[in-house]
Amino acid sequence: MSDAFEFRLERMFAESPAMPDVDLFTLETMGRLDRGWTARRLVIGGMGAIGGLIGATQIVGSGALGQLHALGAQGNAYLAERLAQVVPAGLSHGGIGLDVETLWMIGALAVAAAGFGLVRLVREI
Amino acid sequence: MAERQSVASAHDLELVALGAAGDRRAFGELVRRHSSAVRSLLRRMGADGPTADDVAQDAFLAAFEQISDFRGQGAFQAWVKRIAARLYVKRWRREARTELLADSDAGASSAHGGGELGAASRIDLDAALATLSAPERVCVSLCYGAGLSHAEAAAALNAPLGTVKSHVKRGLDKLRARLAPEAGERREAHV
Repeated sequence: MSDAFEFRLERMFAESPAMPDVDLFTLETMGRLDRGWTARRLVIGGMGAIGGLIGATQIVGSGALGQLHALGAQGNAYLAERLAQVVPAGLSHGGIGLDVETLWMIGALAVAAAGFGLVRLVREI
Repeated sequence: MAERQSVASAHDLELVALGAAGDRRAFGELVRRHSSAVRSLLRRMGADGPTADDVAQDAFLAAFEQISDFRGQGAFQAWVKRIAARLYVKRWRREARTELLADSDAGASSAHGGGELGAASRIDLDAALATLSAPERVCVSLCYGAGLSHAEAAAALNAPLGTVKSHVKRGLDKLRARLAPEAGERREAHV
């Protein structure tokens, strides 16, 4: 059970004089915080780069690129065929230049835009 | 300019919310407001000036990491003080001072700590704390300065609850005799 002296002791502990170098201390603390975050970003970036390099080496080593190229060629042929059915001949050759490569680029840009949107949404939440 | 003023006048809880959202300036204001109290507590626990500052910085960095865990029950300062006290105890134990926690009445602490704050004539409490043994000083500071219960202090110190209680009791008796001698006499007469 706390008595009057214990309450007084708590109050005495709570009373602390302002340190004269409070601004310097704050500056140093925030500097350490920033250095910590910079180091963390560098480590994460470095780990990502190393992981990416290892992944790329594995992909190249497994011959997946050749398979992907073959799949891409098939996809291109399929897309070109579908495009020829949908878009009038005058448009696809000349006109507005709507060919298979353009479609791939539009698709990639749409994916990138969706990615940015998602990141923004996560930050808002 | 206006933004700086709004941070300076904001309530701790608003600053905590901003800090949790990654606002460094808001967290810096919390550090500015409460660092003196945290450093002062660490010095009263027996840390020398540089150690107290180092542990206080560690405590604020840990607080920034865990700031989303702070739900506003109690004051932000009390929360950081508890983090700092636990960090200091960890360091204190690491420096092989655990044997001091043996249940014996050791002499007064040799580490008076405190640099500028240690001036006995200036602050009664600091002078009185300097007469306690290191374990008494740490136990009393944990319970009355950082607001830990006896059980929490025992867990932080990895010491038996009974040992912590007896250090607190002995420390309190010494402080009472120094800071409120008339009350101590009354208590003894009453017992």
